[in-house]
Amino acid sequence: MSIIIISSDSYGIGRDMAKSTAEAMGYDFLGREILGRVAVKYEIPEERLIKALEEYPSFFGKSLKLWNRHLAYIQEAVMSDLLKDNLVCQGLAAHLYVLGVSHALRVHILSDAEESVRQLVSQEGISTEKARKRFNREKKHRRRWSMEAFNLDETDPSQYDLVISLSKIDPDEAVKLIGETISYRRFKPMTYSIKCIHDIELAARVRATLLERFPDVRVHASSGVVVVRTTALKREKKKRANIIREVAGGIPGVEYVEVHVINDFFRQSAESFR
Amino acid sequence: MAIITISRGSYSKGKEVAEKVAERLGYRCLSREVILEASDRYHIPEIKLIKAIHDAPSLLERLGRSRRSFIAYYQSALASAVREDNVVYHGLAGHLLLKGVPHVIKIRIIANLGERVKSEMKREGMGEKEARTLIIKDDEERRKWTQSLYGVDPWDSSLYDLIIHIYKFSVSDAVDFICQAAGMPQFKTTRENQQKIDDLALASQVKAALIEAFSDVAVLSEYGNVLIYTKSEDRLSQKQEEKARTLLKGIKGINNMEFHPGVPVSTNAV
Repeated sequence: MSIIIISSDSYGIGRDMAKSTAEAMGYDFLGREILGRVAVKYEIPEERLIKALEEYPSFFGKSLKLWNRHLAYIQEAVMSDLLKDNLVCQGLAAHLYVLGVSHALRVHILSDAEESVRQLVSQEGISTEKARKRFNREKKHRRRWSMEAFNLDETDPSQYDLVISLSKIDPDEAVKLIGETISYRRFKPMTYSIKCIHDIELAARVRATLLERFPDVRVHASSGVVVVRTTALKREKKKRANIIREVAGGIPGVEYVEVHVINDFFRQSAESFR
Repeated sequence: MAIITISRGSYSKGKEVAEKVAERLGYRCLSREVILEASDRYHIPEIKLIKAIHDAPSLLERLGRSRRSFIAYYQSALASAVREDNVVYHGLAGHLLLKGVPHVIKIRIIANLGERVKSEMKREGMGEKEARTLIIKDDEERRKWTQSLYGVDPWDSSLYDLIIHIYKFSVSDAVDFICQAAGMPQFKTTRENQQKIDDLALASQVKAALIEAFSDVAVLSEYGNVLIYTKSEDRLSQKQEEKARTLLKGIKGINNMEFHPGVPVSTNAV
């Protein structure tokens, strides 16, 4: 009755490892297949959701608001599935938002850097030096993506319970190690850890509902009490708080909504110059 | 049957993990012993050696040669100490100083800053702010030290085979993981792996003998054939080569010696 969250510096290797672990443990695999469901629910092309997980907004590219919304929709769907337990989740950035849940084991798999460079050389026909540069660039890119999306550095080992490098440790041995680890008693769900995951799920659901109208909204939930933080002009504060209370209050599982509206300093300043 | 290096920050419980792993596997546990050996072998006061291998170098020290010499002495003492196998080493930079040896398992033990601060407060009887500042400073010193000497960040996960976070995991869990890894066939000491550690020990010893006279020296040993690299071409003229040969006279295990002034240094050289 536990959750294993696997992330990796290589999507393909992480996916293989997660699938093998799920098979060995008899767990369900939760991967990017759920994006199809999200795409249908929110009428967004699936490719855009995949892009949201791989790219961050740039000046000429994807809009920040849209990117945040896409990530929130993915997060909502992942959290709803993670309530079911006995899952191996991979490729959906869950290691960056399933925090403080004691029955979730977070594992980071590091690919063999030299092997990855060799593969790049043979696949792309580029020099070893260029391949190494590209590999390092990709690593920096992932770090920046995680910082922009969740303000957490996914290359920082303290984000995980266990980091396994495949440069010397065989993938089968790594699967065995993960399997043995998850059987530890401390990874069994407890009343408090179940409450934690329900709180994260509820917050994700409320945020996904509110984001379209209030793009800067931040949500925290605890036992059905939802705290929403947003910004607005002084004159709009009351109106906005009421709308949020009404919308969030209608979401199943929400018992009470507390809204904190902070003065939108930038809009206020811009308006005073008009 | 293996060499285990455990890298750790202060108060990360890495020492406790190392001692328990050594106890369970019946291995020797090394840390300060290496400093004592280096201090004894190269006649350097222990305190000087500790300062050189612990504190981050200042700008002047980076340009000077003494720190590099001390590191060479330390590496030589460490490589000799682990040659005999079945060792858990939890001192400084083992994962970097024992590079290129396949049966070395590189472990890093990390712990939450909050827990580390609590341990420091309890042990030293100081306030939270002071304890936090000290731990952050210590981490920063180690980071700078590794970066200045090896150009890598000790927090970079790719330097290790296994990183264990002591938070959800207990010390005993970490010991289980490490002992399990030590039993993996790739970490067994084969004849070939033993040759690699012997070569590393020899190369480190040669470097330690030469570093005072040739500050930019790098050494590689392959089956006792020692290749000596220096950056500048004119440094090892006939006279200099003679001087190097004299300095290396007492070192056992050298089958052949080659001097390569001005040649790009092999990546496996120490």
